[in-house]
Amino acid sequence: MTTSALPKKHMRISSKRKKERLVSILCTAALVLLGLMVMFPIYWIFRSSLMSNGELYAYPPSFLPPEWRFSNYAETLKVFDYMQFLGNTMTILVPSVIGAVITATMGGYAFARLRFRGKKFLFTLCVGSMLLPSMVTLIPLFLVWAKLNLVNTYWPLILPHFCGGGAFNIFLIRQFVKTVPRELDEAATIDGCGHFKILVFIILPAIKSAMIVVGLLKFIELWNDLLQQVTYITRRDRYTLALGLNIFKGSFNDDWSSIMCATCLSFIPGIVFYLIGQRYFVEGIVMTGMKN
Amino acid sequence: MKKLLALLLCVVMMLPAIALAADDGRIHITYSFWGNQTEAESVQAALDTFNAMQDKIFVEPMQIPNEEYTQTLVNYAIAKQLPDCGMVNENAVLYFARNGVMADVSDMYAGEALQPMDCITFKDAGVPVGYSSSNEILVLYYNKDMFDAAGVPYPSADKPYTWDEFVDVAKKLTFDENGKHPGEEGFNPEKIVQYGAFVNNWTWQMEVWALSNGGAWFSEDGKEVLINSPEAIESIQKVADLALVEHVAPLNVIPEDNGVGIGIGSGTVAMTTDGTWRLGTDFPNLDINYGIAPLPVMKEQVTLCTSGLTGVFNGKNQEAAYEFVKWYTREESNWEPLVLTGIWLPKSEYYYTTEEGINAWLGNEKYPYNHDMETGKKVLVDYTMNYAKPACWYFTPNTQITTNEILFTALQYVWSGERTAADVIAEIYPELCEAIIVE
Amino acid sequence: MTAKPMKKMIKYNRAESRTAYLCLLPSIIGLVCITYLPMLASFTLSLFSWNGLGAMKFIGADNYIRLFTKDTKFYASLLSTLQYAGMAVIGSMIYSLIIAMLLNRKVPARGFFRALFYLPYVLPAMAVYLGWKWLFDFNHGFFNYAIKSLGGSSVKFLDASGMVTPSLTLIAVWLSGNLIVIFLAGLQNVPRIYHEAAEIDGANAFQRFCHVTLPCMTPIIFYNLLMSLVSNLQVITPALSLTKGGPGTGSYYMCYMLYNQAFKSHKYGYGSAIAVILFILIAIFTGILFATSKGWIFYEGDDKG
Repeated sequence: MTTSALPKKHMRISSKRKKERLVSILCTAALVLLGLMVMFPIYWIFRSSLMSNGELYAYPPSFLPPEWRFSNYAETLKVFDYMQFLGNTMTILVPSVIGAVITATMGGYAFARLRFRGKKFLFTLCVGSMLLPSMVTLIPLFLVWAKLNLVNTYWPLILPHFCGGGAFNIFLIRQFVKTVPRELDEAATIDGCGHFKILVFIILPAIKSAMIVVGLLKFIELWNDLLQQVTYITRRDRYTLALGLNIFKGSFNDDWSSIMCATCLSFIPGIVFYLIGQRYFVEGIVMTGMKN
Repeated sequence: MKKLLALLLCVVMMLPAIALAADDGRIHITYSFWGNQTEAESVQAALDTFNAMQDKIFVEPMQIPNEEYTQTLVNYAIAKQLPDCGMVNENAVLYFARNGVMADVSDMYAGEALQPMDCITFKDAGVPVGYSSSNEILVLYYNKDMFDAAGVPYPSADKPYTWDEFVDVAKKLTFDENGKHPGEEGFNPEKIVQYGAFVNNWTWQMEVWALSNGGAWFSEDGKEVLINSPEAIESIQKVADLALVEHVAPLNVIPEDNGVGIGIGSGTVAMTTDGTWRLGTDFPNLDINYGIAPLPVMKEQVTLCTSGLTGVFNGKNQEAAYEFVKWYTREESNWEPLVLTGIWLPKSEYYYTTEEGINAWLGNEKYPYNHDMETGKKVLVDYTMNYAKPACWYFTPNTQITTNEILFTALQYVWSGERTAADVIAEIYPELCEAIIVE
Repeated sequence: MTAKPMKKMIKYNRAESRTAYLCLLPSIIGLVCITYLPMLASFTLSLFSWNGLGAMKFIGADNYIRLFTKDTKFYASLLSTLQYAGMAVIGSMIYSLIIAMLLNRKVPARGFFRALFYLPYVLPAMAVYLGWKWLFDFNHGFFNYAIKSLGGSSVKFLDASGMVTPSLTLIAVWLSGNLIVIFLAGLQNVPRIYHEAAEIDGANAFQRFCHVTLPCMTPIIFYNLLMSLVSNLQVITPALSLTKGGPGTGSYYMCYMLYNQAFKSHKYGYGSAIAVILFILIAIFTGILFATSKGWIFYEGDDKG
């Protein structure tokens, strides 16, 4: 960099700034537009929760509820035992998510970094287990849990997540560990760290955001997993949120506006979890030391 | 830290599993059911009454969501952990009975004063295997205000509409945003504001139109499929054409169990056919000035009757369960929450054939249609006694396959107007014949 | 414990192996006990005729023969599954990569936007599909109302067997918040140094995207591709909660068919046969994806072995 080149470069930078600002404005505009499109169905769901069953079917559909029936929520909460269902759901979710994140991270690390006999075979098995939906194994597993007399407890819904947390998640961690530069753990090896220490002190901080993602995916997966919960939980006092939504589906009629209210209420924990996770997300890169 | 938390949670979670019922010398049995909050509460109330009544049996509820009900019961049966008794979906009754899950209850009401009606008795090759807990028939609901506004007289309870009259009236009640009716110059079917009629095309309810048109879906011994008869095919096409050709009905391609919601309950449809349970479940919550009338008639006056069943399942507590079910399925045990609210019609002949029997429910001022007893007697009582035929699951095996799987899917091509009823039925006929063969 | 990672060593390091097996122990237990043994049991069932309550009857390959020669719905199901998976994978990959890249820039209210695009994915599936039903509905849905107000004629979004899959893929794209999050996490893992080095070398934004971002992102792209392919081939929720497999066989996806045959019609053996076919189908696609992956994936910390 010679002194004579300086003024010219300054000019280049300022024009570049302008261009960058333009791009930034365009990007923001695109985000706003796409965001509105994404928001629209969500707004529509929320709007529906504030309407009566009759209004829902009216034509033409009204963009705003004809009457803001916030009382729908009060009515819903009268029968929808939100806190109890939430408590039950969390009792399943919290240990399951923790178990899944821990065991998936261990598995993913082994597949990404370590060398051992049978790795290819095990990895193929692991990928193979993603190829089928869990309903295929529902009945055989149910028979076993029934034999163990654990039906109507939360064990069948929690314990499986301590076994690797699902192939998808092991695989996700593996992919992320692979993006971590190898030099980092080689340096640690020279410092005398074992493989376990490398996992804890080098890899874990680097893939924090991936672990949050695993937690999020697991969280949502369990949140929507009605089929397993239906099968194992038949006592009302142990109902989860997903099961609880069914109390509006009677033997003869469905109360749609209450269902919409209850579902809107059951969004909340998912959003809160995401917002908490998102903070770690951004922190993740800072801690890897790769930001600059 | 996290591991500790997990461990702690696991321990907390185990607690409810450890808290087992104390041994009180009673036989503990479970009763499985589906339902919403109100229904669950009325079930619990009935169980409490029963549990307080005697000291030998204690009944506990087991609640399973409606849509997954039968499959969950089957899972429990496979694991040999079936509840002792419970509600059974109509389309699963013969499936359960044939596979030895349900105990023999054929003489449950022997020697009793109240006998369940024949049309709601499930029969396997003619042998009774169970009785519905109540009765339900299909009727026509209409919105009185819409009829008044159009200046059309209300449907008569004495003389039901012929199909052509029904379509004509529906046309008068249908109009687009310019107030034009179907068939008029300038009518725009794209912008209909109010529809005249919605015939519930929920698969099992379609059977009534085949009967009404002089045909049937299955032979009465349940061994033959007759849905390929011209009468049955024509009846399906006629219902589909209400939306596709006549433009008097909203399009409903993938039927769901909410005929009133799509139809009269939406406030944009003047007439809807649906079951009598809606008197208790839907109309009290709808702000609609409605009336009831018999179904329109294609060729023969007929309606369909049906209702679920409370079964006793084979097992070591069978006798206790039998006793409970016998008590539970009497009208009196559910009189307030189910009969007087209009959700159930009584299942015993007594309540239809004697004056005091009729007065006990229809004459009770709590009953939703009490204000017009004359119409109620004609539409509910006379039709149940004289024109009601059992829905196909009372005598045909494998209805969960024939109607729920094969017909449900195939008929959607007819509702959407992509194919004709004749074409679709011809294609699935062999499949249906195969499905009702009993192994 | 001074194991040196040697690239050409054939003998496995004992300490390394021990750590590996220990790390994988939970996963191995899971794979054997909750996946493969039950799966094997299920697959064996495909050789039987069983209605759940009655006796099992061995019928050999009859279920498969019936599936391929007699069941007309099977081919329709196969076709609609492939159509759905193809459209959903391509649509959601492109959409989520674009959104993730936009979100990775310095834009105002970035946190808000991130939450917003992720939001559809956290909503309970049942609510999502119900909400869309009221948008897509033929009679009183908003979309048709808008189309008609603008002078068009109504579209049977969910009410024609040919339209239902494209309509449902639109929802799938809208729902792909999980892909966005993973892409975003991946983008954040692209070392800044590379970008800065490229910038100093005079690369413009597009070149940097092609030569820095994309190569670094390939493991993540691969993962997302695999995950969305596998999960979209296993599509069932929209069919279950919105269209009931219809109209006709328009959304009669294989997983739905499997569920319907096994759990609703109580033909467990037949359902198992469908499961086997589905397994093979997905295995073939996954195999192809893995086979081609070696050529285009760039692993920064790869062990090359």
